[in-house]
Amino acid sequence: MDTATQTAPATNPMVRHAAIGTEGLPEKVTIRNLEFFYGESRALKGITLSLYANKTTAFIGPSGCGKSTLLRILNRMYDLYPGQRATGDVMFDGDNLLAPGVDINLLRARIGMVFQKPTPFPMSIYENVAFGIRLYEKLPRAEMDARVEQSLRRAALWDEVKDKLGASGLSLSGGQQQRLCIARTVAVKPEVILFDEPCSALDPISTAKIEELIDEMKKDYTIVIVTHNMQQAARVSDFTAFMYLGELIEFDATANLFTTPKDKRTQAYITGRFG
Amino acid sequence: MSDHILKRFDEDLEKLNATINEMGGLTESQFAKALDAVRERDTALAEQVIATDARVDELDAQVQQQTVQLLALRQPMANDLRVVLSSIKIAAALERIADYAKNTAKRGIVLTGGSPPPSAVAGIDRLGRLVRNALKDVLDAFADDNVEKAHDVWQRDEEIDQVYTGLFRELLTYMMEDPRTITACTHLLFMAKNIERAGDHITNIAELVSFRQTGKTFAEARPKGSGALYTTGAT
Amino acid sequence: MASFASNPLYARRRRADVVAKTLAYAATAFGLGWLVLILGILLYNGIGGLSLDVFTHDTPPPGSDGGLQNAIVGSLMMTILAVVIGTPIGILAGTYMAEYGRHGRLSQIVRFINDILLSAPSIVVGLFVYQIMVAPMGHFSGYAGAVSLAVLVIPVVVRTTEDMLNLVPDTMREAAASIGLPRAHLIVRIAYRAASAGIVTGVLLAIARVSGETAPLLFTALNNQFFSVNMNAPMPSLPVVIFQFALSPYEEWQRLAWTGALLITVTVLVLSILARSLTARK
Repeated sequence: MDTATQTAPATNPMVRHAAIGTEGLPEKVTIRNLEFFYGESRALKGITLSLYANKTTAFIGPSGCGKSTLLRILNRMYDLYPGQRATGDVMFDGDNLLAPGVDINLLRARIGMVFQKPTPFPMSIYENVAFGIRLYEKLPRAEMDARVEQSLRRAALWDEVKDKLGASGLSLSGGQQQRLCIARTVAVKPEVILFDEPCSALDPISTAKIEELIDEMKKDYTIVIVTHNMQQAARVSDFTAFMYLGELIEFDATANLFTTPKDKRTQAYITGRFG
Repeated sequence: MSDHILKRFDEDLEKLNATINEMGGLTESQFAKALDAVRERDTALAEQVIATDARVDELDAQVQQQTVQLLALRQPMANDLRVVLSSIKIAAALERIADYAKNTAKRGIVLTGGSPPPSAVAGIDRLGRLVRNALKDVLDAFADDNVEKAHDVWQRDEEIDQVYTGLFRELLTYMMEDPRTITACTHLLFMAKNIERAGDHITNIAELVSFRQTGKTFAEARPKGSGALYTTGAT
Repeated sequence: MASFASNPLYARRRRADVVAKTLAYAATAFGLGWLVLILGILLYNGIGGLSLDVFTHDTPPPGSDGGLQNAIVGSLMMTILAVVIGTPIGILAGTYMAEYGRHGRLSQIVRFINDILLSAPSIVVGLFVYQIMVAPMGHFSGYAGAVSLAVLVIPVVVRTTEDMLNLVPDTMREAAASIGLPRAHLIVRIAYRAASAGIVTGVLLAIARVSGETAPLLFTALNNQFFSVNMNAPMPSLPVVIFQFALSPYEEWQRLAWTGALLITVTVLVLSILARSLTARK
């Protein structure tokens, strides 16, 4: 286990800081020597990586490389399932979020997540957004209305739904449902937003809208996106991490990684030479 | 590097490379024939060079069309993207080199009517051979993706520039000594300039061979041997 | 096309297809035929006795006219009590198995036992309740009847609750968790909401199942010729009355038995249709 963490020289952020233009950027999340286990099998090996504040970081790699697993560690989603555990450090604003005493629900309110398939709750559009707010705040009606509107505007959905806030969230189109989920996530005022293949079930126009949204949102949030679509990673992210077989192979500024990757495996993957 | 999962991607890239290789071979032969025509005072050969230039232009247009298609349909990334982008620039450089060959051939025809100083003609031939070898080597480097060989060609530009500067001074001397040679020597001067410019384009191709492999051009500043030229011309 | 159709292998497959289809239709007709026959006979014999008197008069002594009022009320009271006892237990157990202990050992055991209970002969349940309630109390009672019906309600509700909660996609749970919703809130406010139609359907099916049960009531509530709302005493019920009257030599009793059977059948039918339409709407 120890040797695995040492054999990742290119991924040591300390060494590569200046080279990839991350010098001086505040780190929102710092991952150190992270290992993850599904039962006995090790899904992540010695991941060391920083996520920079107000930047978008993309995780790419072939299926099963561990990119979704890594994402789901950041809000401890794996806690929902038995037999899964993580070791190492994931520092979030100075606290290790893997530590046993962490209030997971509070953590998840601070690190929101948008999923592959749109998952509106079985309730009205308004309630979908207000639901999360009510968990942590008791707002008078007018303020709640304002918060819901603000969240829907943030998700670029307000104009499309303002006349039917009482309609079921499930009555919206796929792309609208996904933006509703984004509204629901931002309503809770998170600091980090995790996107797990947010466009894989959407048509190209809806995809473009979500990508534009992600680009705008990084003013206010630190964004992490997992995607199978390399062009999407290239379009929306500032930094890209390429993962393969549970290891972080290469982390670089997106502009560098997609034009002059350092590792042969990265190059083979992004040019479409292995699957 | 292993093949693409999508085989047609490989086929397209191979086709692009084949077009450039054909263009390179033709340009090399054009250049050699132009030099032969000047040396041997062979008007027919010169006419042939001039006529064949259209084919080089045609190949250049083909490369352009193929690269546009590759970009639109295959969305190349990383080294593939560099290959496609450098291809279009290499084709442009080859097209220029072929143009210089054509121009040299044209002036060769004019020269057959006069009496250029034989040693100056020999000087043109010497400069031409240097550039011709550089062209051959850079095309080999391109075909083999050999960055080292490309670097070697790139460094040889300095020598070409020096030979050119020497030839320039020689021609000036001839003209000062015997004003009757001015017409012939001016043509020879332009020829020398053409050949030297071809050398510059060969240097560009060498840099592109490196760029498509490594993503970088050669790090040092380009060698510039003909810097003294302007001071010489001014006095 | 022509050459394909004349291919001997293809021709053989077509013959096999015709034979299989014919057999399937025949089997369906056979099953449906009996059902239609049962419903037909039931309607033919039962509809004649249907009148307001059935709901307003108690079961008569032999040889005189009467109704089924006491049996209907008894059945209703015991069924309602059974549902009140059985549904919460069933839903909570199903929730445990689907939400908390999905892959746990305890859930596996409970699931296995529940499946046995689901198909256990109801007379065994009647004997069981007789042993634990009637014998110690020294008399038959409506309570014992309700408990025995509740024991039949529970496995149905457990099964449907678990199944319906399992149908709620995990992504929905993850989405709820991702905005910081605690587990219990997640279950009550998201999972139940998404599975509500299915769970209600399960309860309706459970009612349908117990409303025709005779065997467990014979050993627990017994019967009562008179109107009674005292659940601590023997209580009449439709199935038991039907059982008793149908076997009697008196024509009036037999006619009432047919009518009672029709009432139960219609009730079950209505409940089933209601359950079906609830799930279909979802």
